[in-house]
Amino acid sequence: MTESPTLREPAGRVSSRAPVVWAAAAVARGLFLGAGLFVASVVAEWFTMPLWGWVAYAAAAVAYAVVMPIYRYRVHRWESTETAVYTQRGWLSRERRIAPMSRVQTVDLEQGVVSRLLGLAHVTVTTASAAGPVRIEGLDRSVAERLVEDLTRRTDAEPGDAT
Amino acid sequence: MSEPGEQAIGQRELARDADWRHLDARMLLVHPVNELVRFLPLIVGVFLLGSSSEGDPWHYLGVAIPIALGLWRFASTSFRITGSQIELRRGLLGRSVLTAPLDRVRTVELTASPIHRVLGLAKVEIGTGSGTRNGDNRLVLDSLGAAEGRRLRADLLHSAPPSAAAAPATAAVPVAPAEAGVIMRLDPAWLRYAPLTTSGLVIALAALGGSSQFLGDLIDRAANASSVDEQVGALPLAVSVPAGVVVFLAVTSVLAIAGYVLTNWGFTLSRDASGRSFHVRRGLLTTRETSIDVDRLRGLEVHEPLGLRLAGGGRLTAVVTGLGRRSEGSTALVPPAPRAVVIGVGEQVLGEPRPGAPGPLAVGLVSHGPAARRRRYLRALVPTSLLPVALAALWLAAGWPWWPVVVALLAPPAGLWLAHDRYAGLGHALTGRYLVVRSGSFRGRRDALQRSGIIGWNIQQTWFQRRAGLVTLSATTAAGKQVYHVFDVPEQTAIALADAAVPGLVGQFLE
Repeated sequence: MTESPTLREPAGRVSSRAPVVWAAAAVARGLFLGAGLFVASVVAEWFTMPLWGWVAYAAAAVAYAVVMPIYRYRVHRWESTETAVYTQRGWLSRERRIAPMSRVQTVDLEQGVVSRLLGLAHVTVTTASAAGPVRIEGLDRSVAERLVEDLTRRTDAEPGDAT
Repeated sequence: MSEPGEQAIGQRELARDADWRHLDARMLLVHPVNELVRFLPLIVGVFLLGSSSEGDPWHYLGVAIPIALGLWRFASTSFRITGSQIELRRGLLGRSVLTAPLDRVRTVELTASPIHRVLGLAKVEIGTGSGTRNGDNRLVLDSLGAAEGRRLRADLLHSAPPSAAAAPATAAVPVAPAEAGVIMRLDPAWLRYAPLTTSGLVIALAALGGSSQFLGDLIDRAANASSVDEQVGALPLAVSVPAGVVVFLAVTSVLAIAGYVLTNWGFTLSRDASGRSFHVRRGLLTTRETSIDVDRLRGLEVHEPLGLRLAGGGRLTAVVTGLGRRSEGSTALVPPAPRAVVIGVGEQVLGEPRPGAPGPLAVGLVSHGPAARRRRYLRALVPTSLLPVALAALWLAAGWPWWPVVVALLAPPAGLWLAHDRYAGLGHALTGRYLVVRSGSFRGRRDALQRSGIIGWNIQQTWFQRRAGLVTLSATTAAGKQVYHVFDVPEQTAIALADAAVPGLVGQFLE
């Protein structure tokens, strides 16, 4: 440990297919919002949207759907050691979470529809605190399953009620 | 239950309870009354409708059904304590059995409304809790005899029954060391702090919300009947506005004092003989006795909202595992009181063994540095400066009146003061057993959290914080607010703090 220690990034990246899921979600949000704008301006005629407005909106939505997943993929990382789980997520705002293995209460593996098509899974590790769930999004299914197995084995070995 | 002897006694005590027990028979008087009250609108309706037509045995049905429901509720509720669990069986048509392991019991609360007190009863609420955010997982036994309730409480908390100190309501000695066990008693002089809390405002708003229709009608009628309206209208603005403010302040103050007296009268904080739990007893009409197991106590929160702080006061609440935000009311340890009392009681409860040195609630804090100060000023000044600019633009462009601009010019100086105060309030410290954090201005607070109660770290960084080299470090815990923040602390300081507070956790990720 040096004079001014810094917290390094977690070691592992999420699956390289994870950005596809984020991009798909961004496109879906963009289309949904666009549909809302369309209904408000063309169908309900609450205001008029000029053509350049539509062009600008489409450009912004596409840029978001392209830039956000790339940027996010560089941020999202995870690591699990014998004594702790450590994750980093976000893109503009970032959050790192560290949970000690001795305080882990549940380990969750879930898959959404898009994730299943791509063979991805999310792992959520909860502690006794309502503010403490540690979530790792977009792992390869096999990696996620191995992680869950590891975590369950390690938390089993810890005594106490973890509060 | 560590020693074998104690365990044997505990088992014998609990073995007696292995059979299903009913609530106290005196509840036969209370339940039907409660049901009647619950059905009151319906009953009134039945009687009003009934009076217009002829027939009438139906009227009595309207009363009989609630009473029958009350009896049934009494008959269908029972509980028992087996060796390691408490089970509560209840339900009118559906049946539910609630089971909780005894070692998960966090708090036991005895409440007695006036009707309970007349009959010598007490409602027992057993807080077992898990980390759920909004689960209301309390076991409620409504009600047992007061003595039986106390015995049950002692059983549940595995401790000797408390010395039943019937607190004289007028006792006036704060931090009385004379009486064994009692840590603090309410001093009626503390009523002066009541108007400085927002409770009066809350009550007033609730009352207004509930009765605005009625009040509106009343005011309309009064105004029509007399010339009050014209007279008020005739008053110059310079008189009617201050007068209104004074009346408003007077009303909220009276409400706040009334609320303070109702909830906190006779407030007594004591430690039981074995030192295993703290007891709080309070209330004027409805009395409430809360017991908090020391093993479940993870720290304390000192709340110093602006009004209280300016008057040199504060209040103290306990951080207890398994009790979430929603049960905040049951964790008060000191009502609004002078700061010296709050700190003194708090240090006694925390009991950090460091003779001579200031404890976690009084210790000097590390401030968060120039970047945090800049961020405070920026966040306070940008919106408050934009406000008059925006209003001026509206005045020039959209024909708004000029005076909002002048009023809004007060905002930037207020922002300056707020930024200064918020930075002064920001700080953290690490003592032998506690992580201490302080923040806020309007809702200033200082929290002392047991380092062994920290079950994880969250380190957030917004884009702006990253540019300023700051992070918000959050300690997660299973108690109280669930998460305690160290706001806008320089990144390196935050990492060092996290590493020092919980050794062996963050260290492995440092480089």
